[in-house]
Amino acid sequence: MGIVVTGVGKEIGDPPTRILSDIAFRIDDGEFVALTGRSGSGKSTLLYILSSLDRASSGLVHIDGFDVNHTKAETLSHFRNQHMGFVFQFHYLIAELTAFENVLFPARKTGAERTQSAYAEALLGRFGLGDKMQRLPRQLSGGEQQRVAIARALVMKPKYLFADEPTGSLDSVSGEQVMDIIRDCNTQLGTTVIMVTHDPDFARQARRQIHLADGKIVSAA
Amino acid sequence: MIFLALRYLVARRRQTLLTLLGIFFGTVAFISISGIMLGFREYIVGQLVSNSAHVHIRAREEFLLDHTLDQAFFGQQFMHVFWDPAPSGRKDSAMVANPQSWYRRLAADFRVAAYTPQLTASVIFSNGKATAPAVLIGCDPLQQRQVTTIGDYVIEGSFANLAAGGNRLAVGDDLKKKLGVRLFQNVLVSLANGQPAPFKVVAIFKTGVQVADSQAYGALGDVQRVNRTPNQVNEIAVKLHDYTQALGLAKAWSALGSETVESWDQINANIFNIFKIQDAIRFLSVGAVMVVAGFGIYNVLTMTVMQKRKDVAILRSMGYSAKDIVLLFFVQGLILGLSGATLGLLFGYALGLYLETIPFSGGPLGSGTGHMLISRNADIYIQAAFLAIASASIASILPALSAGRLTPIEIIRAGAE
Repeated sequence: MGIVVTGVGKEIGDPPTRILSDIAFRIDDGEFVALTGRSGSGKSTLLYILSSLDRASSGLVHIDGFDVNHTKAETLSHFRNQHMGFVFQFHYLIAELTAFENVLFPARKTGAERTQSAYAEALLGRFGLGDKMQRLPRQLSGGEQQRVAIARALVMKPKYLFADEPTGSLDSVSGEQVMDIIRDCNTQLGTTVIMVTHDPDFARQARRQIHLADGKIVSAA
Repeated sequence: MIFLALRYLVARRRQTLLTLLGIFFGTVAFISISGIMLGFREYIVGQLVSNSAHVHIRAREEFLLDHTLDQAFFGQQFMHVFWDPAPSGRKDSAMVANPQSWYRRLAADFRVAAYTPQLTASVIFSNGKATAPAVLIGCDPLQQRQVTTIGDYVIEGSFANLAAGGNRLAVGDDLKKKLGVRLFQNVLVSLANGQPAPFKVVAIFKTGVQVADSQAYGALGDVQRVNRTPNQVNEIAVKLHDYTQALGLAKAWSALGSETVESWDQINANIFNIFKIQDAIRFLSVGAVMVVAGFGIYNVLTMTVMQKRKDVAILRSMGYSAKDIVLLFFVQGLILGLSGATLGLLFGYALGLYLETIPFSGGPLGSGTGHMLISRNADIYIQAAFLAIASASIASILPALSAGRLTPIEIIRAGAE
């Protein structure tokens, strides 16, 4: 079903400032799409509208066929829990939980932590963190923390992975590792990946790039 | 959410402990203060209910007012009568007018457990050169033991020995000391202007209440003779099966005759007013502690919400709803309230047990065993737990609601800036 965006616009603040205008495109299941553009172009805002964390001021966003603007908050929360994973520029791990507990936390929402436990271990093992599962975030490097955050985003085997500059706060080696993982998610797990990046090299790893400037799509290839 | 709430609390141990202590001390203070106050109250009420009659039927007392005599002198002849000077004084009778009718009525009433006629006389006791003015109460000794617990306080002799008649006395311990009299010794009893009559001391009692221990009891017939009022009584003391019915019965009986009928709680209304003041002080003082503890929780949770904004954002992105976020922070306050209350209840109970061992001889706080009396009424513990949990809940709900209103996108944008 994928994500279909029709005539989406976004204004914020008072007096209103227009962030996005007349955005329209479609993302099919299994795609790897990079949202690119300069700082302030509206790519992160678009990502959060696509992921239902933010609402468009105008236009329609359909995810898997349902209209995000007319869906109850509880339903959206449940959908995010079951079908969406998020990776942010800053890892946003919960400082009081170990790496393993952080990864498993989305599963706690539905009481599925036991059934997802083995998968969480497997993910951490695959990301080279098998021996650091019981460490707290402060005991991990920046790259390791971001890999834990990706494992957390994937633990529910989401259909969609939204990544907002996932390599933005990492050194080049860690950035490459993170990108390898995200690419593998798309190719091996079939996860639809929508990634915001301003790094052209990482953007080129996506199968499709949507380039924004001043809140409008200037190219989609 | 409880899992994460507990982790948050454990992670900031010092803040958690200090907040917990606020609730804990508030709960302990409430239990201790209430235990002491209600222990004292239960003792007093117990004394009032068990030691004395529940209803007192006394000779009529009536005061003359400005227009009390209008009807008697002028009937309906005038709209208003001006007196110069206006009537004043008392129009009462010293004795119960028709005690036999009261005896019949009381004997037939199933709510009455026992009753005894009494004649209270102010007399002078003398033993050699020692003299003491005191109150002598004439009663039916066997009935008196059923109406009051005076028999339980006899420390020498037997109260029932009064029933044999022949000028016998049961004297209070204080009066005994004033007279320097021993058991089975004779003392002289006289009215202010009468001939002394010899009475033999057959019982000595000690209630711990100075007024009661300065009195003496005798058989009704003996006291009537000394008082020169044969066959007359000035009070009928009534014991009920259920003392809570006393007020209602007293009001109903008041309408039946000219006598003054009062229940035990009417007679001691001033004591109950003191109890109300005690309650107000108790709730105000402990309420202040709880408010301070509540502010502690409010401050800590507000700070936590500020510090954990990023966690809120990531939790929302994971699919946790606004309600889950509210719950995450509310539960922290609730855990603090419940833990503080539980520890406070346990410590308060233990403190009560300890306080009971402190000697407190003499004075109204002294019990029969000479120790402090601490009430362990379940209501105290329920109220303490309710106050603790309510203050913690109220203090938590505002920060929790503010956390629930945070939108993930605002937090993420703020984090990126």
